[in-house]
Amino acid sequence: MSPQVRISTAFAACLMAAVAGVYPRPACAAAVVPGFSYVKSAGGIDEYRLDSNGLTVLLAPDHSAPVVTFQVTYQVGSRNEVTGTTGATHILEHLMFKGSEGYNDPKGNSVKQFLERVGGQFNANTSVDRTTYFATVGRENLEGYIAIEADRMRNLWLHEADRQSEMTVVRNEYERGKNDPDNVLLEEVTAAAYVALPYHHPTIGWRSDIEHVPIAKLHDFYDTFYWPNNATVSVIGDIDPAAALNLVKKYYGVYPHSPQPIPGMYTEEPPQTGARRVVIKRPGELGTVVIAHKVPNARDADQPALEMLDAILSSGKNARLYRALVDKGIALNAGSATDLHRDLSLHTVYAALAPGATHMQAEKALLTEIDRIKTGGVTAAEVARVKQQFIAADAYKRDGTAAVAGEINEWIAVGDWTLYVTFPQKVEQVTPADVQRVAKKYFDEDQSTTGWFVPVQQAEKGS
Amino acid sequence: MKYTLCAALMLASWGAWANMAAQAQRAQVAGIDLITDRTNVKDVVVIVGVLPAGDAMAESGNIAIPTLTGMMLDRGTDSLDKFAIAAELENVGAEISFSVATQSLKDNAKCLKKDLPLVLGLIASELRRPALQAAEFDKAKQQFIGALQGSLQNTESRAEEAFGRAVFPEEHPNRPHPVADFLTAAKAATLDEVKAFHAKYYGPAHMTLVLVGDVPVAEAKGEIAKDFAGWSGGQDYIRPATAAVARGPREVPVVLNDKPSVSVILGQATGLRYRDPGALALRVGTAVLGRGFTGRLMGTVRDKEGLTYNISAGLAEDSIADGSWDISASFAPELLNRGIAATRRELDKWWSDGVTETELAEHKQGIIGSYLVSLSTTGGVAGAIVTALQRGYDLNWLDQYPDAVNALTRDQVNAAIKTHLDPKTMVLVEAGSLGAAGH
Repeated sequence: MSPQVRISTAFAACLMAAVAGVYPRPACAAAVVPGFSYVKSAGGIDEYRLDSNGLTVLLAPDHSAPVVTFQVTYQVGSRNEVTGTTGATHILEHLMFKGSEGYNDPKGNSVKQFLERVGGQFNANTSVDRTTYFATVGRENLEGYIAIEADRMRNLWLHEADRQSEMTVVRNEYERGKNDPDNVLLEEVTAAAYVALPYHHPTIGWRSDIEHVPIAKLHDFYDTFYWPNNATVSVIGDIDPAAALNLVKKYYGVYPHSPQPIPGMYTEEPPQTGARRVVIKRPGELGTVVIAHKVPNARDADQPALEMLDAILSSGKNARLYRALVDKGIALNAGSATDLHRDLSLHTVYAALAPGATHMQAEKALLTEIDRIKTGGVTAAEVARVKQQFIAADAYKRDGTAAVAGEINEWIAVGDWTLYVTFPQKVEQVTPADVQRVAKKYFDEDQSTTGWFVPVQQAEKGS
Repeated sequence: MKYTLCAALMLASWGAWANMAAQAQRAQVAGIDLITDRTNVKDVVVIVGVLPAGDAMAESGNIAIPTLTGMMLDRGTDSLDKFAIAAELENVGAEISFSVATQSLKDNAKCLKKDLPLVLGLIASELRRPALQAAEFDKAKQQFIGALQGSLQNTESRAEEAFGRAVFPEEHPNRPHPVADFLTAAKAATLDEVKAFHAKYYGPAHMTLVLVGDVPVAEAKGEIAKDFAGWSGGQDYIRPATAAVARGPREVPVVLNDKPSVSVILGQATGLRYRDPGALALRVGTAVLGRGFTGRLMGTVRDKEGLTYNISAGLAEDSIADGSWDISASFAPELLNRGIAATRRELDKWWSDGVTETELAEHKQGIIGSYLVSLSTTGGVAGAIVTALQRGYDLNWLDQYPDAVNALTRDQVNAAIKTHLDPKTMVLVEAGSLGAAGH
């Protein structure tokens, strides 16, 4: 047994001790660092709060390889945008790579220069509920990355010249998305499903807003949301907890709490009063059908049963949609998924049409499978099969610090990182009756939004 | 000097951990080249298998047969139908998938340690004794045809196809067939052709199987010896005796309607395999031009001029046969001409003046660091092993690679750029709505 294996086993024991639930005390010895308050632990992850400014810190030591993933998650996404600033969160994410006071291209130490020089795997992304910056680096480069990441939290350069050059970059990202008719279909179904909630607009924004949002608005956005008390830092990998906390304090502790409270989003979606339909006609070869229903927020007690339902419908060749649509030659592929949000989430079933199949055939087959669950429920064998898949998936997701960070990030975004640990446990407690109950509760035709991508043939020239 | 020292320190820091050759075990088991590597992940085992049964093996026969054969593997064996196979896997949360590439069939699998015997047994059955039944064959054909039809509208895959056909001559294994030809071939394909292909190409003779993770090595070897016992046959990869390089300035438009972003590829065949002299130097030099956010292309064409979301440069398809070099990018139709002009400007400057000492040192350090970080997951380790072996190295290369990169000099890199590339004769492919660009 190598030394690494012994360390890994110790980490696993720590995980096992914590895996049964969320504890008020850390699973392993909590790091005691002046200036931090210990908050709670779950699944081998310890939460701390930096007392001076409210920054949340999650630590997950894993010594299986000499790497660390560091990520900062800001609780700001496209849900915080309004008409005229749609896409602003995402543009700001791009501008976060244009340099800050201490770290920038002219100095030769910008975030991309540093991380590419040390071979870091890094990027950033924006969703409806959060904006995230992350890198996986050798442990010896952790401090260098924290220093840069912390500097751009409050000392970012926001120059009009950079906005102008980056606007066309973002616009090309938008255009690349428009190349895919299925992407366009999902955007339009989402826009139809949500009337009032800002989930209505795509995270990348409307084209005109991308082109015209003033730099002053981006400044306002930055000065409103980029504060330590609106951020969660996650440090996962080959770390000593106390040393990691000291580094976080060294670089983030220089900032105060936001001068104003972080504004909330108080809009509520009005009740839907009938089925909605969307049709997209563009050049293409094969059609697509999507049926969406709004379901509760990600933290809701019904979500584990919806997760189970999705797996029964779409996970593997024995899934119901594979048997009913793919194996019958109606669809090339078909699936069921829930886009988990901080507020109302969106559940979709979809089918990519096989050659010769019609939209009506596919829509009818999708609805038939939903009705079968509503009226006949699911079997104990189906539930047992999916639970085993969750148990295995729980082991798989611990393979690599970046994968762990990526998943924790999504639970941070919806407001409760401990769901990273407890959600799989809740799924394991779901019964067949729970699955049937949520199907009946949420899959009401009057609450649906159905979208068709209808390909149209146009003559093309060239090779 | 500063960066050379940094790279050396990085290697020293990681050396004890990333001693790949010492950690991994290699043996011939049932005629298969088996590599096992026990890492620190708990309970998880990743399996990657490759054997020479890719699209290029169709040779003068029906070009759809290699892919259709690969698609038939998980559709039933002599003892289990496809739903029974799926149930065995789904009941324990294990995964097996097959994919067909230019020269190889690839098997990717993942399972818990306790389920390794089950998964190895299923892989063996699927490779050795697929049912190859008519009803499933018809379904596979329909799905393949649908996937091909879908790809007709994909600007990136259409650009790649046009580029490969422009730079590789007839009969070269890397020369792709047009989607339209695949469609015709798929419709005409017969089950007898699939059976014949399976009989000829599926066997242990040139198969590599890599197991990484919480691997019970002795048990795994025993299972593989049992599951694959008595299997024989298999063909080698196609390795053209001489590199075939098609040269000549050409522009290839691929017009697709209603595509707001045009996919562009500018490049050439290199005549180089990965292991050829100068190939690694060219690779590292290319990183200076088109690697990540700090390569020259992203630094200028995206960061300074805002002309594209993504632009990069790299070498491809050179593990087994001689491959290609290209810059790939996307541009809005109205910015296409400016984007291509800016790309050519950076290419010409890089080719004429070469890379600087500082650039080379920074990118060498970054390439080494990125490689080491990639070895922190089981998938990363398995991928690195398979790639190294396909390129003709032994396992020692996994430890030697950082030193080989670090040892490259500026003169070697700039000489490789000049020797193996010629911007004046490169092929330019544009795929998308070209009317708005005035084309």
